[in-house]
Amino acid sequence: MRDPRVHDDELPEPLDRAVSLIRDEPPLRAEWRAAVLAGLPTHEIAPPPTPRRQWSLSPFAAIAAGIVCALAGAGATLIAVNAHVLATVAPLVTPTAMASASLHGPSSVRFALVAPTAVHVSIVGDFNRWNPAALPLKRSADGRTWEIEVPLLPGRYTYAFVVDGRLARDPVAPEAASDDFGIANSVVLVKGS
Amino acid sequence: MRLLIISLALACAVAHADGQLRGASEVPARLGPDARAAIQRLIDSARVAGLPTAPLADKAAEGVLKGADDRRVLSAVQTLLHQLIDARDILGRTDDVSLLGATASALQAGVPVAELRRLAAASRGSMSAADSRALAGALVTLVDLVAKRVPPAAASASIEELLRRHATEEQFVVLRGEVERDILGGQSPEAALAARTRAQVKALDALSPSDRTLPRRPPPG
Repeated sequence: MRDPRVHDDELPEPLDRAVSLIRDEPPLRAEWRAAVLAGLPTHEIAPPPTPRRQWSLSPFAAIAAGIVCALAGAGATLIAVNAHVLATVAPLVTPTAMASASLHGPSSVRFALVAPTAVHVSIVGDFNRWNPAALPLKRSADGRTWEIEVPLLPGRYTYAFVVDGRLARDPVAPEAASDDFGIANSVVLVKGS
Repeated sequence: MRLLIISLALACAVAHADGQLRGASEVPARLGPDARAAIQRLIDSARVAGLPTAPLADKAAEGVLKGADDRRVLSAVQTLLHQLIDARDILGRTDDVSLLGATASALQAGVPVAELRRLAAASRGSMSAADSRALAGALVTLVDLVAKRVPPAAASASIEELLRRHATEEQFVVLRGEVERDILGGQSPEAALAARTRAQVKALDALSPSDRTLPRRPPPG
């Protein structure tokens, strides 16, 4: 059955011209176009709204994470520094008498020196990085003996006393091997219990 | 996000600064830059070799306190590193810092490597903590005896004899005290040690195995 609709190319010529006239936009005069446009109300074109920022993490959570990270860094630093300090005091070299210490922690080891005329006595050794200001001895009640208790982990430590600015080895302790620097040291072995 | 990045950067900076500080703090600041750098390299070498580094840093600190010049401090640290390497070679694989230090000290005192190997062999059984302590105590006594002018060979022979009988750390302390008293009493160091060693050997031999702090091991072979 034939399609009842009629196509343009099938129109009779007069009708085809009429259709073309209807289809084609009539020419507009410029004055008329300007007048029409002037009569239209004008509108401010608002800028498109800025899309709201999409956070993968809320700002508060980000700040909190930053603070936590900073604290964690500081904590790690403190732990590292402490570990280093402990390492300098812990496992080292040689003895006096043999002192007992707990296997799992430092124990007090008593060092004493009879020096009745001394004004200031301190002890230096592998346990305090040979720092003469770190461990001053106290004069005991008898006024002749200087003493101090030092917490030491089990190990071997070399040490000396500093008596009024001069180094002196512990006369009752074993002597360390001949010293590289011309002044002999003493040695203490702190054993684990 | 920006805050998070800043915080992380700060944390990294602090950690880095800490690392720098720790590296720098191992070597005394009073040394010159060349000596510091050289000593730091020795410390790094020891660390890489699995040796304790604290004795090296302490040796440098000791040298500074005793007023030694940079060259002498560096030389002493170098010598100690070599002694620690030799000590580990003598002792075998050990992480006992006290024992390594005592062995290095014996080398410093002039006790020959071969003698120290014999002492380590005489002590070595299971190389338990007690064995290690006894050997460390024996070596400390040995060094002290050498410092008291006992010839190294004689001192080493006495110590070996006692180690073979499983003398304890405390027995070495007693031996040292007795020899010291005898020397102060006028005896020659070598004669004092010989007499005290004989007495201790006799006492140890008289003990039944159950009376000893350490059980007696069967002879090798």
